[in-house]
Amino acid sequence: MIRALRWRTHTAAALPAALAACSSHVPNTTLSPQTEFGRDIDALFDILLFAGVAVLVLVTLALLFVIVRYRHRAGAPEPKAIHGNAVLEIVWTLIPAVILAIIAVPTVRTIFRTQAEAGPNALQVEVVGHQWWWEFRYPQYGVVTANELYLPVGRTVNFALMTADVVHSFWIPQLGGKRDLVSNDTNHVWFTPESAFAWNGFCAEFCGSSHANMRFRVFTVPPEQFERWIAHQQSPPVLGAAAPPAGAIDTLAPAPPAPPQATAPTVVADSLPEHVRAATPIPAGLRMSNVRGDAARGAQLFMRATPMPCAACHAIQGVAASIVGPNLTHVGSRTSIGAGLFPTDARHLALWIKDSPAMKPGSKMPAFGKSAQIPAGLDDQQIADLAAYLLSLK
Amino acid sequence: MATTVAPPPAVAVPASRYERGLWSWLATVDHKRIGQLYLYTAVTFFLIGGLEALIIREQLRGPNGTLVSAETYNQLFTMHGTTMIFLVIMPLSAAFFNYLIPLQIGARDVAFPRLNAFSYWVFLLGALFMNASWLFGAAPDGGWFGYTPLTTKAYAPGMNIDFWVLGLQILGISSLASGFNFLTTIINLRAPGMHLMRMPIFTWMSFVTQFLIILAFPIITVALTFLQLDRFFGTNFYTTAAGGDPLLWQHLFWLFGHPEVYILILPAFGLVSEVLPTFTRKPLFGYPVMVYSGVLIGFLGFGVWAHHMFAVGMGPIADSAFGVTTMLIAIPTGVKIFNWLATLHGGSIRFTTSAMFAIGFIALFTIGGVSGVMHSSPPADLQQTDTYFVVAHFHYVMFGGSMMGIFAGAYYYFPKITGRLLSERLGKVHFWLTFIGMNLTFFPMHFAGLNGMPRRVYTYAAGQGWDLENMVSTWGARMLAVATLVFVYNLIRSRRQGERSGNDPWGAPTLEWSLHSPPPEYNYAVIPTVRSRYPLWDLKAAHRSAHEPHEHDGDMPTLAPETLAPDTPPPTARQLGITMPTPTLKPLIASIGLTAIFVGLIWNKSLPIMLGGTALFVVALYAWLLSPLEEHEE
Repeated sequence: MIRALRWRTHTAAALPAALAACSSHVPNTTLSPQTEFGRDIDALFDILLFAGVAVLVLVTLALLFVIVRYRHRAGAPEPKAIHGNAVLEIVWTLIPAVILAIIAVPTVRTIFRTQAEAGPNALQVEVVGHQWWWEFRYPQYGVVTANELYLPVGRTVNFALMTADVVHSFWIPQLGGKRDLVSNDTNHVWFTPESAFAWNGFCAEFCGSSHANMRFRVFTVPPEQFERWIAHQQSPPVLGAAAPPAGAIDTLAPAPPAPPQATAPTVVADSLPEHVRAATPIPAGLRMSNVRGDAARGAQLFMRATPMPCAACHAIQGVAASIVGPNLTHVGSRTSIGAGLFPTDARHLALWIKDSPAMKPGSKMPAFGKSAQIPAGLDDQQIADLAAYLLSLK
Repeated sequence: MATTVAPPPAVAVPASRYERGLWSWLATVDHKRIGQLYLYTAVTFFLIGGLEALIIREQLRGPNGTLVSAETYNQLFTMHGTTMIFLVIMPLSAAFFNYLIPLQIGARDVAFPRLNAFSYWVFLLGALFMNASWLFGAAPDGGWFGYTPLTTKAYAPGMNIDFWVLGLQILGISSLASGFNFLTTIINLRAPGMHLMRMPIFTWMSFVTQFLIILAFPIITVALTFLQLDRFFGTNFYTTAAGGDPLLWQHLFWLFGHPEVYILILPAFGLVSEVLPTFTRKPLFGYPVMVYSGVLIGFLGFGVWAHHMFAVGMGPIADSAFGVTTMLIAIPTGVKIFNWLATLHGGSIRFTTSAMFAIGFIALFTIGGVSGVMHSSPPADLQQTDTYFVVAHFHYVMFGGSMMGIFAGAYYYFPKITGRLLSERLGKVHFWLTFIGMNLTFFPMHFAGLNGMPRRVYTYAAGQGWDLENMVSTWGARMLAVATLVFVYNLIRSRRQGERSGNDPWGAPTLEWSLHSPPPEYNYAVIPTVRSRYPLWDLKAAHRSAHEPHEHDGDMPTLAPETLAPDTPPPTARQLGITMPTPTLKPLIASIGLTAIFVGLIWNKSLPIMLGGTALFVVALYAWLLSPLEEHEE
């Protein structure tokens, strides 16, 4: 049941026993909430489930009883013609009314409690939904990231939910209920994570082609690690830091596992439990030749690639500032790319650059690989260089 | 109209060209033929919508499915929902409205027979229009509730949503026309003595449904017109970049969409309430309460729409208000279930296929009702909305409720329509495959949803804890596919080879069973006089209806004795000197003209097509209005 506890960063020591419940074979369950918001909902759900199952069992038993007891038997007398009973009608109008009143009172209380203002010391996180990825901003710290959310355990986090395009819905099943991202308006939802773990988040409102591929990860970490993570995110990327030797990577070989560092600010992908590991199979027909990338050449290409430089859409702190696509400042230290779809390694990064719409239906990022349709596109060597550069952005 | 039965004349009467073959169907204004057209059309679309569902299930059988692309999947689930709601359950209900309402209230036809034909043709053309999108590879892909701004031109530049918007507009015209038609019919054409509280319960539930249709469809028409203007003429009702509020669409849509749910379920309530008394040999328990609860559900149905929107951030007061009104609606619904149970209680239940579907309806609809109450509580709904839990819920209501009720009605009324019984042996195979397959398909979805699976995803990752549920659902869907094929085979086979049923194979209490099966075109040679809720039981099993309110004034017999005669073919209208509405192609031509206007709009706003359609529509309409309903000879 606790097989998911293979998380080997130092946070492992901090994992509380509560995880036993949430890391089993139903890793996204709503029935094992890990925040006060989730537990408020779950308490209501327990009442609803109890009342609902009770009603269902009673009605089903009554139905089974009458259809067995009153089935037609040969030679049985004509049934008595009963056309109604006023007392019974009143009784079975009142019974559901009482049950519903029992449900309504805590419902209204919970509505007002969970929709109250978050406390003044809450961590503020702005969530911006895009077709089909998530932008996360920490305005108190000046940090912008994408698709991976770090939250400190024990501190209330207040999300401000916005959308850049259509309606999306922000949902981390184990941390609480969902809330829609509605154009021209800002919604809020808040909760306090109670345990350190890795969670899945989803877009829950149909938002077009890749709605199914608009996922994100949430890492709830001890406050000390959160501080380190913030500091790391605030600093510009160190080119080549923790990258394989000589800055060159085999684009086909799996990325060598980074040695766990006691002070690593970010989660190491390799150590993640299965449910938050990006393992989408590569779509058929996508190929990448076995070339070694050079991060330094990749850095130049980032600014000058044809037909369009990466920098036209993507920001990297200290390098480029566009906000069309996900911020790539520390993309090499994220566990996944494509909004939770693929692992962050040279091969997947290369294929993503080569033909993003094939990797993710509807992707707004055009294909950059050279082809009959895109004669000015990048060749495999250039793509490998870019992948090496991005991977080095730790 | 004749009040006495004339002896059949000895001379043969020459048949009009509209009495046989294809023309007789194209020109018909007979509510019974139109009812059958609705029936066969809807069954065809049931197969199409079912195939779409099966592909969806095959795609989701395991993680990372690759059977269809994301875009195809999005078209499939959009068209599955749209088809099942607008092209299957509504027209199946319309088939029963058409066939049964005039028979149940003792009328010769509906109030406006030609408008009735027009409604059908507009429905058929709208359905074809919507599905023609497949031929262009541009089937609607915005979900059946088409949320803006996803469905605005900025995010959906293709023709997909155009087909959806215009298709729904066409279908809406059909629904509104038939809604007004049936309301007028029920209000004005009831036989003497049939007070409102003596109407058969199916007619009552249909009556409520027609009110919902005429009140709810104008709302979707307005919402769609805004979207249509946005998409075709560049207005900004829903353009968020111009300050449009996406919640405008959501409120308008659900203000229609929730009453629509009751439009889909109330006719099934009515059918089940007809079937149960017959097969228990007891009157319906609590008839007045059943009527009032149906009316109450109709009223409350307009006050709960925002429970589809608990996650949009309406604020605590609106959430509380809509949560409580939603809970209220469970009370009349629960009362109905208790009354059905009480009808069964003390009865002598014959387990015909029809009765089994009606009983299965009670069991499955209760599950859908209970899960409905579970998301009436807004905070709880925040974990359930837009997940597979909701998918499970509404399939228990729509399939376990509406479709099971319709199946019960189909087995019950097939003999009245064709003169032959559906095979009971195949029927029972159909029932058990449906009942088991339905639960296998939809029950695991409750768990998938509670375990975090969002709806409308064409793919999901491995290791999320959803694999088993999806696998079981897919096997259930395959079973449902087999069940449906058994049903369709039964329909086709029994039409010609089924056992002959006679007028009243079940010992039913209501007027329609006094007629020959199939009924003659004029229905009743003599309009009956009604003295109680169960006129046929009065004649055949008086003790069953003895306690119902009766009226004994007047000497007119309830039914002319001839109509109860053995199964000899009834005389024709001509032989009896009864004048029936003349068959005419004008409604069909008018509907073609009307549809052409929409075809022109989607065809690059082709002015010639639109003007041609308008001209055809107007000319056909004038010709229709200027020609009398009934002509003696052409």
